[in-house]
Amino acid sequence: MSYEFEEEEFTTQFNGRVLMRILAFLKPYWYWVLGFVIMIAGTSVTDSYFTYLSKLIVDEGIIAQNSERLRQLLTTYGGLAIFQALTVFGFIYLAGVLGERVQYDIRRKLFNHLQELSFSYFDKTPVGWIMSRVTSDSQRIAELVTWGLVDSTWSILNITTSLIFMAIINWRLALLVGCIVPVMGAIAFWFKQRILVYFRRVRKLNSKITGAYNESITGVRVVKAQVREEKNLEEFSFKTTAMYKSAYRAAWLSALFLPIIQIIGAFGVGGVVWYGGLQVQYGDITIGGVQAFLSYLTFMMWPIQDMARVYAEMQQSIASSERVFSLIDAQPDVVDQDGAIDPGYIEGEVTFEDVTFRYEEGKDVLQNFNLHVRPGEHIALVGPTGGGKSTIVNLICRFYEPTEGVIRIDGRDYTGLTQRAIQSRIGMVLQTPHLFSGTIRDNIRYGHLDATDEDVERAAQIAHAHNFIMELENGYDEDVGEGGNLLSVGQKQLISIARAVLADPDILIMDEATSSVDTLTESYIQMGMDAVMEGRTSFVIAHRLSTIKRSDRILVIENGKIAERGTHSELIRAGGHYYDLYTRQFRRDREQVYGLYGDLSPSTA
Amino acid sequence: MNRDIDPKLAKKISFDLKDTVAENRLVGLWRLMKGFRWLYVGALVAIAIGALARSLTYRLIQFVVDDVLGQGLFMDKLPWVGLAFVGLAAVQGGFSYLQGIWTAQTAEGTTLRLRNYLYDHLQRLPFAFHDYNKTGELIQRVTSDVDALRRFYADQAISIGRIVALFLVNFLMLLQLNTRLALLSIIAMPMIVVMSYLFFGRVAKAYDLYQDQEAKLSTRLQENLTGVRVVKAFARQPYEMEKFDGENWEKYQLGKKLLIMHALYWPVSDILCSGQMILVMAVGAMMALRGEITVGTYMAVTGMVVWIVWPMRNLGRLIVQVSTGLVSYRRIADVIDRIREDTFTGVVPEDTAVRGAVSFENVNFAYVPEPELRDPKTQEQKDKEALEQVTAEDLEPIPVLHDVSFRCAPGNVIALLGSTGSGKTSIINLLLRFYDYQSGSIKLDGIELREYSKALLRSQIGIVEQEPFLFSRSIRDNIAYGARRPVTQEEVEAAAKAAAIHDIICTFPEGYDTIVGEKGVTLSGGQRQRVAIARALLKDPRILVLDDATSSVDTETEEQIQEALEVLIPGRTTFIIAHRIQTVMNADLILVLDAGRIIQAGTHATLVQQEGLYRQVYEIQSQIEEEVAAEIRSPDHVVVDDLVATTRVGA
Repeated sequence: MSYEFEEEEFTTQFNGRVLMRILAFLKPYWYWVLGFVIMIAGTSVTDSYFTYLSKLIVDEGIIAQNSERLRQLLTTYGGLAIFQALTVFGFIYLAGVLGERVQYDIRRKLFNHLQELSFSYFDKTPVGWIMSRVTSDSQRIAELVTWGLVDSTWSILNITTSLIFMAIINWRLALLVGCIVPVMGAIAFWFKQRILVYFRRVRKLNSKITGAYNESITGVRVVKAQVREEKNLEEFSFKTTAMYKSAYRAAWLSALFLPIIQIIGAFGVGGVVWYGGLQVQYGDITIGGVQAFLSYLTFMMWPIQDMARVYAEMQQSIASSERVFSLIDAQPDVVDQDGAIDPGYIEGEVTFEDVTFRYEEGKDVLQNFNLHVRPGEHIALVGPTGGGKSTIVNLICRFYEPTEGVIRIDGRDYTGLTQRAIQSRIGMVLQTPHLFSGTIRDNIRYGHLDATDEDVERAAQIAHAHNFIMELENGYDEDVGEGGNLLSVGQKQLISIARAVLADPDILIMDEATSSVDTLTESYIQMGMDAVMEGRTSFVIAHRLSTIKRSDRILVIENGKIAERGTHSELIRAGGHYYDLYTRQFRRDREQVYGLYGDLSPSTA
Repeated sequence: MNRDIDPKLAKKISFDLKDTVAENRLVGLWRLMKGFRWLYVGALVAIAIGALARSLTYRLIQFVVDDVLGQGLFMDKLPWVGLAFVGLAAVQGGFSYLQGIWTAQTAEGTTLRLRNYLYDHLQRLPFAFHDYNKTGELIQRVTSDVDALRRFYADQAISIGRIVALFLVNFLMLLQLNTRLALLSIIAMPMIVVMSYLFFGRVAKAYDLYQDQEAKLSTRLQENLTGVRVVKAFARQPYEMEKFDGENWEKYQLGKKLLIMHALYWPVSDILCSGQMILVMAVGAMMALRGEITVGTYMAVTGMVVWIVWPMRNLGRLIVQVSTGLVSYRRIADVIDRIREDTFTGVVPEDTAVRGAVSFENVNFAYVPEPELRDPKTQEQKDKEALEQVTAEDLEPIPVLHDVSFRCAPGNVIALLGSTGSGKTSIINLLLRFYDYQSGSIKLDGIELREYSKALLRSQIGIVEQEPFLFSRSIRDNIAYGARRPVTQEEVEAAAKAAAIHDIICTFPEGYDTIVGEKGVTLSGGQRQRVAIARALLKDPRILVLDDATSSVDTETEEQIQEALEVLIPGRTTFIIAHRIQTVMNADLILVLDAGRIIQAGTHATLVQQEGLYRQVYEIQSQIEEEVAAEIRSPDHVVVDDLVATTRVGA
């Protein structure tokens, strides 16, 4: 389980180009948008009209003692209530479903784009970062274009129609109120901006606090052994106190904000009563009219507040979309060239000609690397971590392309082939086998999607995975759990070997596991590997002596170069790097065999 | 402790939460607010006063309409009436402000205290607790569950209070104005509340499904991203897209279902509320027409009814939210309930100079597992919990060490040799009192270990583990981590130099300020170990524990680590958990362990003379050396197949 603690910074102000791109997500559904905007407009106008109706009820019904008119007005009220309910249904449904749809579209787009991106992108970009783009940012954008639109439409219409009705009742008073609205709006925006700043701070601190918890739990042995409890708590309480302050500050601003708006509104109300009351005397305004003004003023607070909130949230969403677009705009490094072909098969001859490769400028991982591998040859790659073994393998798979030089497959520069032509004919068994959630059968079938159940079982038998699978309760239908974590490492390896067998590749790449597995599984893995390597060109990043010794050629890779090459006996006689490596590993293996080394695992109780 | 904080708050947040735990969850939540309760009650009172002021505004309207405008009297009072409106708004606003800050002080203060307490609690809970509880689970409890409580205090309880206050105040006011209208105005109330409760209950379930699907989608994505090599290697991009699309589409469908529920509930409840309004308006208007009530009363009634009817729609949501908040309380209380280890109590004075003579006499130790934390989240889990409860009581102590006795003088080197599970690490754990022994006696400088406070004891022991844990802070902080005093840059550098890590640190762009871990440099195993050695050097302990780990690094690094250790060891009583004869040969005392017992003890010279495990191991290692030599001499010769040998020994 990985934790993504750090919350990202928001830097964005409004940006028209980004906004246009966001709106482009809505384009296929413009009639939905039109639909819900009309619906919310209906809701909003009805809201304002209700207040006006209440005025009419007082003035033309009660005070005028006109029960006929009263009944008529009340019926209208009831009818409008039903109409409004329909519009409410309409906008919730349309906007909500559209939001889900847009989210679906964005995620789909992102995911599909991610499948196209090259390895270099995943090297530079943490999984957690990508995850947040696909999950939370896409959600924020979808909310902006739906609920954000709903809220702002409602607010704007509510304020305007209220002002219109007020003007109908009494334009002078409406003018007075009209002067208050911008003031309230300005204050609301000011507050919401400030509050948002503190909220962001709280979120950031929150992720730091989570990180601190995580560390003190995973590192509890060190904490206790170093008697650090007090100092740790002190450090931690700095974080929580800062969080308290920011959270309190945000709450304080919110607590201050409402009363201020309310009191400004109250001055309006007071003014209406005073001025309106005087006018009632001269018949310019009715009692119902005064009441309507009071209602409009009291409830005008909400749309104003809402607009401020939507605006603040919109800024966040814009920042979200900028990040999403940065992902969408990322271009794959490795692309099929025009006219790239798929020859249909690969013999298995691989040639490196003066290949130089670097991930970043100035740091060559491979330098002028030359290698010729005949079809069916077994190559063992040995050497220290970071020496360049994995890079060689990644280049063969064309996860990366050489910075300089040429790699040929069957004598043909492999950039002239499609990626699919190469990758669909390369089998891969990784050091830490990666399985997907699902059954064992699903995972083996990953190697060849059209395989029948018989094919799957045959592959498992060849890979020597069949026996352990049959011992499981549900056999091939056993659930492997998230990332395969219900199985042991050894079992996962066996399944990934079976997967490679089923794929029936022309070139096999294997990264041997270093972690120890139980002896029986270990022997199955060995036999499985032998079976899958049979008759194919294979590159093995080898750790087991038996694999190394059995290979046709051993390459000792150090600092991006071939330090030594040859067969086992040649290299042992040479007495160089390989000699050191081999004797060391040999000693270790023997110790393990004799059971002296059983405690390699980290010390526990 | 924290100068940065208001002393009054500092006092409030520093007390033991242990006593607040209660079986009844609401009682527990109430106790948890200790120190803030008056503030919180004040906040609730402020809500009531605010609601009252709001109601009075309508009474004022009634007065204006009936007595001022209607009668044409007191026109000269209009400015005063206007001012009264402002005054009432000011009261409302003022109390709303007070409620806001008091609520925030309570909610944020209570959670601040809870966070600090839980942090400290977790680092002080004994090992047996941490052995059995997963990090992810604990983190969840101390973060999202704590936040659930914060929301309970800050929002949910207050909102419920507001709805109740609005209801009571306005209803009482209505009763006073006109009993009939008052009673009429709450006819739809039960229906609205029940509907809201049922709806939000169901929505909560639909929402859970929706969230589960979201989780599935994330998992799918994460697996795709972490397995990008496999996906690309098998050229399975189209297949992956299809699978992701399936889950994505499923989520869209679930979202639609959820929305239909909302899209139906809100208009229906709107109609109910509007119906209630129209009823009051119709009856009120008729009564006003008949002169049973004044126009002002009519206006006041219709104004107040709004505040009774509409807020009720949210009651169901709040009740559902509160019930999840209560579950969170249980989950937190469960952690708080666990007993901390006491690191302070001890009769040996804190300034005692420890020399480092250690003796074990007939020590027996059985590992007593602590039951896992319960999870009351769902009903099924409650049933499972009932089962687990039984097994929890059945948690049998697991015997680990039997009759362990040995003694050593200050400065001795003691090697512990044996296979995994033989008890080597347990001896170290007892020495540090990570766990407590059941019988026998362990003495340090002739004083029983229990007489020392754990803090004193542990500050005298330094550990270099096989895979040292470094914190994601600067390298400097990591080295100075155990020093328990301010440390200068020179001291840190000196320690780093002695540990042969200084030069490497200097190659990092930010030197000693380089952050270790995910966000900074990744150190290799050997480098981590040398940082740990520097850490131990700076701590300057009398007793040293080395978990011999040179097995996992290459020859060159091994030599460097050895050199670093040669600086560290002299003058300290040193325990070496060893895997190889070579490392233990020079030890003053070698303890050979098997299944929790010391089966042999002595120096290398004496042990090789004896029949026993030590000589066996020694002979095997000599044999291995011969095999190595043989292997080298004839590389073409096919060696004993590893597999056959492995399987034979394994069987």
